[in-house]
Amino acid sequence: MIDAHRPGVVPDFVLRPPTGSYHALNPSTKLVLAFAEAAVAFGVRGWTGPLVVIAIVVATAMTARVGRSLVPFALAVIPLVASILLVNTFLFPGATDVIARIGPLAPTWTGLEAALQATLRVAAFALSVAVFALTTPTDDLLADMERRGLGRRGVFVIGAAIGMIPRMVERASEITDSQRARGLDTEGSRWRRIRGVVPLAAPMIIGALSEVEERTMALEARAFSAPGRRTILRPLPDSTGQRTARWAAGVGAIVLVAASIAGILPVP
Amino acid sequence: MRDARYAYAGTSRQVLAGVDLDVDAGRVVAVVGPNEAGKSTLCLVAAGLAPIAIGGRLEGSVLLAGDETAGLAAYQAAQRCGILFQNPATQLSGTTSTVWEEIAFGPRNLGLDIGAIVERVEGAMATLDIAGLADRDPQRLSGGQAQLVALASVLALRPSLLVLDEPTSQLDPAGTRLVGDALSRFAAENGTAVLLVEHKTGLVARIAGEVAVLVGGRIVERGPTAEILADPALAEHGVDPPPAVRIERAVAAAGRSGDLVGLDLAALEMEPITGSPLPTGAPLPTGTPA
Amino acid sequence: MSEPAILVEGVAFDYPRGVRALDGIDLRIDDGERVVVVGQNGSGKSTLVRQFNGLLRPTAGSVSINGRPIGRRHVADLAREVGLAFQNPDRQIFAGTVRAEVAFGPRNLGLSETERDAAVERALATVGLAGDEATNPYDLGFSRRKLLALASILAMDTPIVILDEPTTGQDARGIERVQRIVAELSGTGRTVIAVSHDMRFVAESFERVVVMRAGRIILDGTPADAFGEAAWPTLASTYLEPPLAARVGARLGLGATPTEAALVGALTARGTAGR
Repeated sequence: MIDAHRPGVVPDFVLRPPTGSYHALNPSTKLVLAFAEAAVAFGVRGWTGPLVVIAIVVATAMTARVGRSLVPFALAVIPLVASILLVNTFLFPGATDVIARIGPLAPTWTGLEAALQATLRVAAFALSVAVFALTTPTDDLLADMERRGLGRRGVFVIGAAIGMIPRMVERASEITDSQRARGLDTEGSRWRRIRGVVPLAAPMIIGALSEVEERTMALEARAFSAPGRRTILRPLPDSTGQRTARWAAGVGAIVLVAASIAGILPVP
Repeated sequence: MRDARYAYAGTSRQVLAGVDLDVDAGRVVAVVGPNEAGKSTLCLVAAGLAPIAIGGRLEGSVLLAGDETAGLAAYQAAQRCGILFQNPATQLSGTTSTVWEEIAFGPRNLGLDIGAIVERVEGAMATLDIAGLADRDPQRLSGGQAQLVALASVLALRPSLLVLDEPTSQLDPAGTRLVGDALSRFAAENGTAVLLVEHKTGLVARIAGEVAVLVGGRIVERGPTAEILADPALAEHGVDPPPAVRIERAVAAAGRSGDLVGLDLAALEMEPITGSPLPTGAPLPTGTPA
Repeated sequence: MSEPAILVEGVAFDYPRGVRALDGIDLRIDDGERVVVVGQNGSGKSTLVRQFNGLLRPTAGSVSINGRPIGRRHVADLAREVGLAFQNPDRQIFAGTVRAEVAFGPRNLGLSETERDAAVERALATVGLAGDEATNPYDLGFSRRKLLALASILAMDTPIVILDEPTTGQDARGIERVQRIVAELSGTGRTVIAVSHDMRFVAESFERVVVMRAGRIILDGTPADAFGEAAWPTLASTYLEPPLAARVGARLGLGATPTEAALVGALTARGTAGR
């Protein structure tokens, strides 16, 4: 693998060229689009807002060839959606157009309509976030934010926090094992398990804190606090076209939502 | 270092109580001593991290490439002195997805241009012979490999001094050999000054030209490696002599030194194990009672 | 014949992501033995010893402690019979004083206050921390914290004691102390099991060496068996090397000399025989 890289230039596995035209868009563009889609999905009342967003998002996903990967995201919102459906259909306040009486329960058409709309909104939001996540590696997003002035500390904190999670999980499990081996009962009654909080939490915190000092030193030893801008390894092109698109999407979304709130948007 | 004395922030005890130490270009000086003698503190003071990055009170003089560390900013000290700690995991930034980018972390921080960055990364990888790891995920390396990547990312800043604080202590034998071999090649081929703190006196015997013994914040003995490691007083300072020395002594005590004539124990220790492969079908040696 | 302290029969263990860490392990450890498990990282050594106190349960096969299969017994319950001292003391120390830290285990086992105090005192004396009851564990250096973690297991007075990498990070004095502790525990009839990659410690302190690679036991014998020249290819296959004393003995044609003492003994014997 490494022989494929030419000496003297930044290798491809570092440059990670994007794999499609949507992928190749600047991360900020994709971010703004996702926000605009989310705003329209929730801010425009009626059916049109969410349906249009879903259509756009699915179309984008197909073009970017991440359609299949959307499925897990869609499945993930099912529990939320199910509860929305149930609560609204059966318990919509003030609705009187009952569908049928089932014992003490009285589902209403109004409720059902509200439920379905809410479901579409949640789905639209989730899918739009999903498309963003699937087409924008975290590295790219952080690099772009740094270019726009976020600063190396901000970038580091966010990047390190994300990377830290598996390590913390592993540390937590080792701490738990150590304490269990000394007789801490984590399999017994609830009360006993509550008593275990300090022996589990304290080493976690102490360990995390002492690691901070070591990590800080390792960072300083690599000139982390040098003044000036860090060198960008990976060009993330932007263009006037994209800038315009971002403004248009942002303004457009605001206008649509405002119009909808003001009641002057003539769509179902 | 001249009469260096150091106390950590918020404490009054001087962990280093007057240390004189020189490390010249191209030389490897090892520091041995019992735990809590101040060896790690010595590393931090030598690298300038104490007091620059962690505070504390430094008295006396510590010069890095001619300049007092107290007057330097952390990133300036980092370019003169690289430091490697024991735990491989905490030295990786945790924010990069390939080893190449991890090694580029330092040069990027300095704002060097892409050409210079590429040169330094490739140089560091070549020095430690880890070009094969370039596209790997730093979080998924073995302990020994992670240490080498951490070392490479420090070397990418082209420091004139390298400080190593027990680099092999958390590693298994395979990792220790990997790092030990890389260090010994590095020391032989490079003009960098190296300060190595280690328990494994066998490794010290292999790569260091000079040994200083640190006890209670002071250097109590100093001299050429062979001499210091063979000194019977070493054990009193809580330091284990290398296996070769121990065996020679034990054999001498039994009056059998003649049997070891012509045998280079240190070299024997370094030989890779050969031995004819067991013939197929032969039972593996076992001695468990039924 | 009495029940073995630990009996492992046909044990296999797979991690949730499908990695097979133990592959058909059969092992019998009798009361009072001093056994050490060695092998490269990933060979399954830590996975194996964690089967002994229930932290990990076999995917196949069974583990019995003192004749009773572990079954579904809780770890906290097995902790009465099997003590496991972990490699990293900082992943378990939580109390503000040495005494409180060491008392944690006995308290969990339900000992009375007098029994607890006695156990703590004994344990601290064994590891050499007797004067430090009121010290904050983080005011001790790493070596002594490691001894503290060991003390907290010793205070539980378990018949079986497992030490996971007890000498890593220790200086010369610390290692000597650990060796003395192993000898003392064995002297009181306890079964001592260790995991280590310090081959000198292995050769000097244990009577039985179990070598692992890729989830299997590839050699099980005395240090002389494990470090004799015939076993070197087996050791090499799991990235281990024999201690220098063994190499010297092999080079001089003295047979198996895993420790300095054995080497000196063999040289002396040859000398006397030659006379």
